[in-house]
Amino acid sequence: MHMATTPAIEPIVHLSNVDKDYKLGAVTVSALKQVSLEIAPGEFTVIAGPSGSGKTTLLNLIGCVDVATRGEVIVAGQDTGKLSEGDLTRLRLNALGFIFQSFNLVGVLDAFQNVEFPLLLQKKMNAAQRKERVMDLLNRVGIAEYAHHRPGELSGGQRQRVAIARALVTFPRIVLADEPTANLDSVTGNQILDLMQELNREGTTFLFSTHDPHVVSRAGRVVRLVDGRIVTEPEQQSPMSHT
Amino acid sequence: MNTLLLIAARNLARNRKRTLLLGGAIAVVTVLLVLLTSLFNGTQASMLRNATTLSTGHVNVAGFYKITSGTAAPVVTEYAKLRALVEKETPGLQSLVIRGRGFGKLVSDASSQIAVVSGIDIAQEANFKNILEIVHGDVNRLSEPHSILIFEATAERLELKIGDNVTLSSQTYRGSNNSIDCKVVAIAKPLGMFSSFFAYVPLQTLRELYGLDQTTAGGIQLYLKDWEQAEQVAAKLRIALDKSGYRVMDHMDLPYWRKFDIVKREDWTGQKIDVTTWMDEDPFMKWTLFGFRALIVIIFMVLLAIIIIGVMNTLWMAIRERTREVGALRAIGMQRHTVMAMFVTEGALLALASSTIGVILGVAAAFALNAAHLKMIKGFQMVLMSETVTLLVNVPTVLISLLVIASVTTLGSILPAWRAARLQPVEAMHSSN
Ligand SMILES: Nc1ncnc2c1ncn2[C@@H]1O[C@H](COP(=O)(O)OP(=O)(O)OP(=O)(O)O)[C@@H](O)[C@H]1O
Ligand SMILES: [Mg+2]
Repeated sequence: MHMATTPAIEPIVHLSNVDKDYKLGAVTVSALKQVSLEIAPGEFTVIAGPSGSGKTTLLNLIGCVDVATRGEVIVAGQDTGKLSEGDLTRLRLNALGFIFQSFNLVGVLDAFQNVEFPLLLQKKMNAAQRKERVMDLLNRVGIAEYAHHRPGELSGGQRQRVAIARALVTFPRIVLADEPTANLDSVTGNQILDLMQELNREGTTFLFSTHDPHVVSRAGRVVRLVDGRIVTEPEQQSPMSHT
Repeated sequence: MNTLLLIAARNLARNRKRTLLLGGAIAVVTVLLVLLTSLFNGTQASMLRNATTLSTGHVNVAGFYKITSGTAAPVVTEYAKLRALVEKETPGLQSLVIRGRGFGKLVSDASSQIAVVSGIDIAQEANFKNILEIVHGDVNRLSEPHSILIFEATAERLELKIGDNVTLSSQTYRGSNNSIDCKVVAIAKPLGMFSSFFAYVPLQTLRELYGLDQTTAGGIQLYLKDWEQAEQVAAKLRIALDKSGYRVMDHMDLPYWRKFDIVKREDWTGQKIDVTTWMDEDPFMKWTLFGFRALIVIIFMVLLAIIIIGVMNTLWMAIRERTREVGALRAIGMQRHTVMAMFVTEGALLALASSTIGVILGVAAAFALNAAHLKMIKGFQMVLMSETVTLLVNVPTVLISLLVIASVTTLGSILPAWRAARLQPVEAMHSSN
């Protein structure tokens, strides 16, 4: 495919010939087959495909929460197949950001504390620096006034904004999101996509999955999965054309 | 990390009903433990005080004298010299009394009974006078020669009143029988199960009965500032006496009046010194306390097991409810050990808070019970040598209880927390709610 990209830009994600099998008793389900993929800095890429095509599986491998059965998965320069559980966790903390379909905020912490949490795990910033960073982001996602509300007191859209701020707070190399708008109504979903797109223009790399053709149409690049394989579509000749 | 503590505290607060139920159970167990241990301490103190008045000191320096190898007299000769040495060699000595030791029969017109007869110098026995409750007569009249103090049960059995004579008869240590008539001058209320088995006469009267001279005594009863040191002090005294040239008997776990037959069969003559503690001289009390303590331990184990199961269950529920949250935290980079710490913190916080409340309530309850002067059940009165329930709150015991309960219940949270730490981050990716 596109083996010869511009040498100056090192991809954040590099998959070559990746298979992922799930064993269900005697049956082996082949969730991903011979997947090769590169994600470069600055992309705004959607993984599209029907249900069961392997979108979540692919995001899990890139998100270092699961490992490939065969093939190579390199994330932020690290071969994930060779890392220990602790190292994978550190890689997630320092290089990746996650946005979940069902938000998954800590229920007993307020918005500020939820966003601050990854910084506490990192132990790199002092309290003042953390406060500045967290308030910056809450402002950026437009919910600074809800800083001291707990998730239970926020709407779905507001919660997903908190989740986005949490994903961005550590300056990750890439933000991964599995169907981030699936639990939101279409108006709110669009607002969240607008926000993600703005953040992408400001430099954050996004990779997310969706069913929704309308969402697909807003992507800079579409990776289409069918039955665990990437299918190349005519309009996808140049995956990095949007930069 | 403060945030872990915050998360733990808020989750406990959020599941109010569950927290109150389990926390309440932990607090109740703590209250029970504080009350039981205080009851034990109180009982031990009163039993010890009574027993060490009747028949033993904390430590006793006594012995046997064998004129021929087939006899055994519970006598030490030249006790003054022994006393001087003991006073010098006993660390933490508070006071001592000289007692005579006898064993014989009390015979009245109506009946007779076996008795352990102590010879005492009533002028030196302030404690004895304090603790015995005299129902008839006057304890100070034990200064009169040939007087005797008996307990109510003996007075009833032998049909004796103040002023009556009772014959005290015993085999002397030369093998012949001797008897002396004593006048009943005081009758005391019973003090524990076996007090009717005891009688008291002036030391000099006991010497007359056995044909002994002024330089002899039964033994020296030592009272220590800290009775818990009794065994160590006894061991020390055995060595010190041995060094000073006394022949010291090997330690035997028996009261002196059960050693006669053993000593009689031994092949030596002359004086040997026997150093004993209250546990040797009052095995009944020793076993009562041991049984009591064992009972507390068993009750406590059962309660702790119940609590541990409760803590585990509660944490299981908490973890199941928060599976997705935990998965998300793992995904965004929380290490396994931190997840574990998060749940152990929750368990520990609950354990510590509720057992602290339990301790406060328990101590308050103990003081309230003491103030109420509850009467003990009749059977227990005898065994425990006390009429009212007395609880002795002892700070180290209370702190140890607190520590044990808090740490054991925290331990109960480790297994569920460990399982939580093994949760896969992909759990968070599941879209189901
Ligand atoms: N943990 C698992 N164990 C067994 N099979 C699995 C597991 N996870 C996914 N699969 C299987 O792998 C294939 C791909 O699943 P995946 O969840 O990646 O699809 P998806 O594209 O995310 O689907 P959807 O749009 O419904 O979320 C499916 O056939 C699924 O049944
Ligand atoms: Mg999926």
